[in-house]
Amino acid sequence: MDVANLASQLNVGVILPEGIVILTLLTVLIVDIIRGRAANAITPYIAIGGLSASLAALCLQWNIANPVSFLGSFNGDPLSVVFRAIVVLSAAFTILMSIRYVERSGTSLGEFITILLTATLGGMFLCGASELVMIFVALETLSISSYLLTGYMKRDSRSNEAALKYLLIGASSSALFLYGVSLLYGLSGGETQLGAIAANLTAGGQSLGLIMALVFVIAGVAFKISAVPFHQWTPDVYEGSPTPVVAFLSVGSKTAGFALAVRLLVVVFPLLADEWHFVFTVLAMLSMILGNMVALAQTSMKRLLAYSSIGQAGFVMIGLIAGTEVGYASMIFYLLVYLFMNLGGFACVILFSLRTGTDQISEYSGLYHKDPLITLCLSLCLLSLGGIPPLAGFFGKIYLFWAGWQAGLYPLVLVGLVTSVISIYYYIRVVKMMVVREPQEMSDAVKNYPKVSWDAPGLKPLQVGLVISVVATTLVGVASNPVFTLAIDSVENSPALSASLAKAKEKSAIAVLPKDSPSLEVTKVASAKL
Amino acid sequence: MNLAEGVQLVSFIILTVMMLGAALAVVLSPNIVYSAFLLGGVFSAMAGLYLLLNASFVAAAQILVYVGAINVLILFAIMLVNKREDFAPVKYAWTRKIVTAAVCGGLFLLLGTTIITTPWAIDSTAAAGDEAIYILGEHFFTDFLLPFELVSVLLLMALIGAIVLARRDIIPDSSNVVGQDDLKLPEKPRELVSAGADGESS
Amino acid sequence: MLSALIWIPFIAALVIALLPQQREKQARTVAGVAAGLALALSIVVLAQFDISLAGFQFQETLSWIDNIGLSYNIGIDGISLPLVMLTTLLIVLVIYATGHDIERPRLYYAMIMMIAGGVTGVFLARDLLLFFLFYEVELIPLYLLIAIWGGKNRAYASTKFLIYTAVSGVLLLASILGIVGLSGSGSFTVDASIAQALSSAQQITLLLGLVVAFGIKIPMVPLHTWLPDAHTEASTPVSMLLAGILLKLGTYGLLRFGLGLLPDAWDVIAPGLAVVAVISTLYGSLNAIVQQDMKKLVAYSSIGHMGYIILGMAAATELSIIGTVAQMVSHGVISALLFLLVGFIYSRTGTRDMNVLRGFLNPERGFPLVGSLMILGVMASSGLPGMVGFVAEFCIFRGSFITFPLQTLLCIVGTGLTSVYFLLMVNRVFFGRLPEQFSNIPRVSFREQVPAAVLASLLVMFGLQPHWLLEWTEASAHAMAMLQVKALAEVQQPDESVAMVDNEAIASTVLTAPSIEAVN
Repeated sequence: MDVANLASQLNVGVILPEGIVILTLLTVLIVDIIRGRAANAITPYIAIGGLSASLAALCLQWNIANPVSFLGSFNGDPLSVVFRAIVVLSAAFTILMSIRYVERSGTSLGEFITILLTATLGGMFLCGASELVMIFVALETLSISSYLLTGYMKRDSRSNEAALKYLLIGASSSALFLYGVSLLYGLSGGETQLGAIAANLTAGGQSLGLIMALVFVIAGVAFKISAVPFHQWTPDVYEGSPTPVVAFLSVGSKTAGFALAVRLLVVVFPLLADEWHFVFTVLAMLSMILGNMVALAQTSMKRLLAYSSIGQAGFVMIGLIAGTEVGYASMIFYLLVYLFMNLGGFACVILFSLRTGTDQISEYSGLYHKDPLITLCLSLCLLSLGGIPPLAGFFGKIYLFWAGWQAGLYPLVLVGLVTSVISIYYYIRVVKMMVVREPQEMSDAVKNYPKVSWDAPGLKPLQVGLVISVVATTLVGVASNPVFTLAIDSVENSPALSASLAKAKEKSAIAVLPKDSPSLEVTKVASAKL
Repeated sequence: MNLAEGVQLVSFIILTVMMLGAALAVVLSPNIVYSAFLLGGVFSAMAGLYLLLNASFVAAAQILVYVGAINVLILFAIMLVNKREDFAPVKYAWTRKIVTAAVCGGLFLLLGTTIITTPWAIDSTAAAGDEAIYILGEHFFTDFLLPFELVSVLLLMALIGAIVLARRDIIPDSSNVVGQDDLKLPEKPRELVSAGADGESS
Repeated sequence: MLSALIWIPFIAALVIALLPQQREKQARTVAGVAAGLALALSIVVLAQFDISLAGFQFQETLSWIDNIGLSYNIGIDGISLPLVMLTTLLIVLVIYATGHDIERPRLYYAMIMMIAGGVTGVFLARDLLLFFLFYEVELIPLYLLIAIWGGKNRAYASTKFLIYTAVSGVLLLASILGIVGLSGSGSFTVDASIAQALSSAQQITLLLGLVVAFGIKIPMVPLHTWLPDAHTEASTPVSMLLAGILLKLGTYGLLRFGLGLLPDAWDVIAPGLAVVAVISTLYGSLNAIVQQDMKKLVAYSSIGHMGYIILGMAAATELSIIGTVAQMVSHGVISALLFLLVGFIYSRTGTRDMNVLRGFLNPERGFPLVGSLMILGVMASSGLPGMVGFVAEFCIFRGSFITFPLQTLLCIVGTGLTSVYFLLMVNRVFFGRLPEQFSNIPRVSFREQVPAAVLASLLVMFGLQPHWLLEWTEASAHAMAMLQVKALAEVQQPDESVAMVDNEAIASTVLTAPSIEAVN
């Protein structure tokens, strides 16, 4: 194989967006080395510029003729483009909101951004990886950078605790995942490409080994998307990590996890489709119920958002389980919406903790009287997370529930509906704390609230990020038709999913015939809940 | 059975016994330093198994990486944190041990059954032997090129991360040692953990 | 045109929210202008409305989110028209009745305007999901209105309201998804034929879901417990809004989607609904008798009067449907008036306890005008001829008697009880000697009484000239009743010839039910 031939086969152009991120990362590092502390004024903007360029490159990659690159290691189909775009966006927003936060804590910004960009890179590669080694390396790039980010505030014992917990649990889940992947390698007779594995597995039929592989792979994936019962790390890690990192973990890292789930489970395990659908149904139900129930009892805002993110992951899984075009598309749409509303919420939490030094929910009491802007933004984001119309979260949930309902997942959708009522309750609790309280009921933190000013270095980007997320949260839902069509396009144009889609269609055609029974039981459950 | 096969079988048995014995000792030994050294034994025995499989490069890598790097690192870590402390014996510790044993035994049985019952698609081509290193190199620069390159980014980042974690933070501009609140989360700890939150630093 | 009715309030809410702090006093002006504009526009709609048509008029259709079949599809018919009029009118009065010195005016008026837009949207929506969207938009503003500007126990009451209403919303969404999903229709547009694809068991369960969802909002005993709490804690304008308009969302939804979409199933559960109606009426009335708190009394009377509406809907004859719509309007007007008057007394005396209040009809130092209006409102509420309450109740009872004679009689007992508790209240609060402690209370200015006067004049006007209230609904009610007749015919078709006779008999009784002229 000569070099020219090899170069053409590698099809390097597909990873242009990732290449831009790597270049940005190196630039940030070098500028930081050369200029020392003074570089803090420019490195974040270099990073954001690089991420924007990468986003633009991703847009150009939409629906390219030959998405497979590096001899099958990486797949740049529209599905991966959408997921990568979400990861890049989440990284860009995270950087916007981290500048002030990191400077305030006295740690160096340049390294923070470098590590964050590496995590982004890992996430992006994970979204498109279609080969076992690539998947594992990308997963580890994402994970190890996340551990480092979690422990970035190294003199704070909470941050240390979070990093250690995350590292230990993460490492063991990686080990499980690796074991599962190695079983796949063995079962398929030494293949590492997902497509080839699927082909060889079909020939081999079902076996105990395959089931074990599935179980281990699900354990790895469920850890990344923090589905119950693989969620134990989430609250502690979220509470102890620097808040911008939490924002990235809850959106970027989770998105990459879902991309991995789609690619790995859908492509490799068509044989066990019913089994993994069942397992995910259980995971989704547990996540929705436990995440939302435990969130009710939280007193710290970061922990509340941690449990809420567990619950939200449960909602997103509905789309994955539905397995239809609309299902995958609604999952993508919800992840996009979740990006805006969750990051908007985190931006407010960061701003509040920068100004008052606390994130206790009770300290938000009476904030409306001192800072109406944060109050409005945080309220909108939380209400959107709770699914109150006409905010984007409502439409995201409607898409998911509708897709689930059409795919016949009645119990799952009903659990989703009921738990979203519970979630409304705890989101409203925060809103109530901020808006309803009278001036005389203000908390100490709010009483001593500094005069609102956006002049301090690093606050302007935070403001920009906040405003963009809130505007998107309000408008994306109402104008969701083009966005959702885009999501559907991405699913339709991705050959990786076509087999499973055809199967889902077949199934739904059968399911339409006997029409009577399911709704009866289902609505009874609903009325029994009263 | 000819001589070669006999030797192979005997060495397999020896290596296996060595590996299992060392592994059990790692887990059961009360002294952590012994455990660390015995772990080196496990790794070496595993390298021997690779040799038996005619994978000399992997065996060498195993020795270099696991014994030479990881195990030594573990020993360093143990010696640096050599804080003698007597822990109060846990009540009903034996129940935990039984539960652990049961879980491990169950897992072993499950995986054992899996290995035996699954129809593995075994590759029938002969082992590459000493050619392995060339083949590996070829793979690194063809179909595993992307993960190979990505690993370099990962290593770079790990390097930076290690430096970030390990360096003493003296801010060069102000020539001041870091203040009390620096390098901490801006959020105040909750009342419950406040006792542990200030004090110690890394 | 109808879009403007919905969007003027929403835009006003946005403008109010964006007013700078120094000019927050102008929130009231903006809200008032927007509400006035909406009222004027609705009068234009009223003038152009063709009463001979049963279907939707002024339709506007805009595809919105094709992917799930949600379209922006609005229209108005004889059932929604009176309710839209009621909404636009009451919003103006509510804004007028709000004190100038209210705290946080921007938030308050923005919330009121959001509710105004949302409720109008609910009445106009012709798409199930659009309906749900507007239905849920109410939730947060009303919660905040109760939680911020409420009484002492407002946190409890507002949270209770929130939980009940959120549960109602979820059940509604589940039922909507069920109706559209199971029928295999690709769009959420309201379509009478949608139910044909459903089996009768499916229809009944879905309808039960709807009944419970709307039953919380109406509220229907035993799902009513949030209402007395919410009313007691809410401020006067919010109570007017809640009783006057928001309860109608439940009854309207049940009428439009329960009866309108699932007529076959409606026929099955109607007897049960009639029983619930009787229980609501008697339970509400009996509870009202023992109340010591004037506002709670009026709240329980609301529960009682909602029972009539449920009865009328259960019967589903042409006349009873007309009566149902009339009763919604009449209850909206009367309860808003009563809450307003109770609010006057409470704001002046600081108490609503009927053991303490005495003799407010005293011409010198009491509130003679408030007292008189109260007596008028009470008379209307207990269904005295010449008032709007009589017209509505008579239509309902006359229309339902054919179908549910016993239940109707029991509900008529409820009207008797209404007189009992209202007379008790009037007797205690307005007659007798004015105690010394109230001798120096501030007067109620004439300006403040304007809304009450408007409501009272409406109440008398519709009482004397019922045609002005009823004619709008006739055509639509006829169409809806025919749906039910058709459904009955379909249900009974497979039976023997005896059933056929029965069937004709039913159809003829429905069709020959006394026309409006007879009522006049």
